Amino acid sequence: MKLTLAHDHKLPTGALGLAIVPDGSRAFATCMDGTLYSVDLASGEAQPFEGKHDSYASGCVLLPDGRTVITGGYDGKLLWHDVETRKSWRQVQAHQFWNWQLALSPDGTRLATVTGQYAPGGWKYEPAPEREPSVKIFDTASGDLVASYAHTPPVLSCAFTPDSQHIAAANMMGEVRVWDVAPGGDRKPVAQFTSPDFTSWGTTKTHHFCGGIYGLAFSPDGQVLLCCGMGPMGDPMAGNGKMTWQRWNWQKGERIDQIKDGQHGAGLMESVVWHPEATHFVMAGRQAQGNWNAALFSAADGSLVHSVDTKKRITHAQFTADGKSLILSGATGQGARKQNGWEPWGRVQVFKVEA
Amino acid sequence: MNHDPSQLPIGQCPTNEHTMHRRLFIKGLAGGALASVTSFAGLFHNPVFAEATKKAQKRCILLWLCGGPSQFETWYPKPGRPTSGPFGTTATKIPGIHFSSLMPQCATIADKLNIVRNMKTTQPEHLQAINLIQRGNPDRAGFTRPTLGSALSQAIGSLDSPIPNFILLDPIQGGNEFEGFKAGDFAGWLGAQHSPVRLGGDYSKLLNAASDAIPQHDAESRETLRHFLTAKFERARNSAVARSENNAFERMKGLSASADLFDLNKLPAKDRERYGPGSFAQHALLSRHLVENGAPFVMVANGMNWDNHVFQHEIHQMLVPELDRVLFNLVTDLEERGMLDNTLVIAMGEFGRTPWINPARGRDHYPNAWSFMMTGCGLKRGVITGETDIDGVDVVGKAYNEQNLFVTIFSALGINPYAEYDLPGLPTFHRVENKAEPIRDLLA
Repeated sequence: MKLTLAHDHKLPTGALGLAIVPDGSRAFATCMDGTLYSVDLASGEAQPFEGKHDSYASGCVLLPDGRTVITGGYDGKLLWHDVETRKSWRQVQAHQFWNWQLALSPDGTRLATVTGQYAPGGWKYEPAPEREPSVKIFDTASGDLVASYAHTPPVLSCAFTPDSQHIAAANMMGEVRVWDVAPGGDRKPVAQFTSPDFTSWGTTKTHHFCGGIYGLAFSPDGQVLLCCGMGPMGDPMAGNGKMTWQRWNWQKGERIDQIKDGQHGAGLMESVVWHPEATHFVMAGRQAQGNWNAALFSAADGSLVHSVDTKKRITHAQFTADGKSLILSGATGQGARKQNGWEPWGRVQVFKVEA
Repeated sequence: MNHDPSQLPIGQCPTNEHTMHRRLFIKGLAGGALASVTSFAGLFHNPVFAEATKKAQKRCILLWLCGGPSQFETWYPKPGRPTSGPFGTTATKIPGIHFSSLMPQCATIADKLNIVRNMKTTQPEHLQAINLIQRGNPDRAGFTRPTLGSALSQAIGSLDSPIPNFILLDPIQGGNEFEGFKAGDFAGWLGAQHSPVRLGGDYSKLLNAASDAIPQHDAESRETLRHFLTAKFERARNSAVARSENNAFERMKGLSASADLFDLNKLPAKDRERYGPGSFAQHALLSRHLVENGAPFVMVANGMNWDNHVFQHEIHQMLVPELDRVLFNLVTDLEERGMLDNTLVIAMGEFGRTPWINPARGRDHYPNAWSFMMTGCGLKRGVITGETDIDGVDVVGKAYNEQNLFVTIFSALGINPYAEYDLPGLPTFHRVENKAEPIRDLLA
């Protein structure tokens, strides 16, 4: 299995969130200008939506009806958009701080959103406790808040199990909590574990924590939770921690395996996604050192199968339903201002997945 | 011509300040007393004025934001522009002026702060930029200029004070290029007695540990032997490093008697809570406590936390609110205690950060257009000066550099910024070169 670049489309500002129609003909991308764009993946034509966030638009999901996109933003808001009219018709203030990431339950009925500001909680800048619930679940049809869960901020990533029954959320400290989202209950996690392999405390010059688990994905059978990020660094501002994924038996809190030595470069990995046939998964992000920033791994033994270097930061990856294309969102560096203004620096790329 | 201050006889003041004052006095007479006092430069050409400055007990706290904070996420946001980043703005007490939404507390006391938004310097790399902004002048062959702390140690400090004239509160040894700077020569031609005493974090524990570990009679014997050996070593090796270390040791030894002054645990719990739990915040509170107790200059640092090439917004969303909280409480406390009129508070790094975001979600070094805060000590308050273009890429109109900054600092503290030095073995130089102008908007 290998990846071949088919299309490379530009957006005005960095693309942080991605959703695609199942056949891969169209993508929806949320960008740092606060805007949701609809992108024709064949032509690259991009159309902005009317409703904008007051800050970065961090993520988006496409509901199964194909007519509604919900976006989250660093303004803490959720916006419901109509795909046909490109107007937003509902707004919910979900958080006081950023929405870091969204996740849509596979049945399309629930939207998870995670937040949290990193505030100093101690001498070494241990994160202070949350000031609002870090994990919230909304009903996608009504927009109602249906559940809130406590975590240690900042909570960076979240994912539903394939049966839509559990939500996992991970934070900067590498702590993963999993809850049963069924109504009622005590809202306590049904499972939790912590990996120390994604978090840095800057011993060299930056005396605080940073990093964390930036991407989560359950295996198609729901038994394994795949986590990605960047390994610890003495100088986090070098951004050169080990590109890292780990697979965990989340119910037992046992690590199963991790990226193999010799198969990784350095840099923050922001997205993990399973191929629809469950034979492979992809991890993607930014490369600081090495020769790839998106790679296919064998689900069987975790070996790297194929990799590409897009020369860009990748923020999200998604396979089309048939598994024949991989869509990536991301950004180049913004670059200095030119005579005629700022160059487009957001990207949506289409890779063909070939046997 | 290179000059090694260690060549001066031990015990002799190496600064020739006395000579300088006499020369300045004569120069002032020759130039005409009226001219001396009616021009900005002439204001300082009087040794009596210099003595008055010392007696006025001027103080200075430098919150050293090493690494380079982003002007966009602090004092000078550019809302709605491609360079704005994810944070909003907050209206300040000054009509029409907004700070980053990460600084809500400082916004409420904007009328007590001064913000300079048109700094333009030349060094884009840390070590060179730290040296530039800490010494106030570009490198010049033949001698090493003192850092701000050392210069103020000499100008407003007292060598027989039990409290060091230059205290560096810094919880750790590290800091990459800042570590390199810290390992260098702070005091330059002024000599080791004006180098910093470094405290804070684990370093403060040394104060008590030394006195507790050794019995008194044994300590005295050891001390006599140490004096003999180190003096011999200094003579034999002509070692500035040895002299510097010995000076530091002498001051540390004197400090043991006032070790409680540096004990954070003895500060009121409510104050500690107000400032925040991080080491930077706690040390900022300690700096207030130290100047209250007579320390002339305290520099508070915390590694190079602000150098956010990676995770710019993710880290600034933590660092800036901490700075906001610290500055609000520090300035408010000093004012309430009647100390702000005599205490200069500066919050700055060695440069700002790029308007554009790099692929690692960071902002890089940017000396072309950056901002800092400075208030107290007779400066006007509530002044927001300087302007950059719509995206914050270039300064519009007048720009200020490190020399303008230092002239303003020295002026605020009543120190002649243009003092001329003709010292043996050194080229003729000035405290600040080029007769640089002060940032006049700030001067009362």
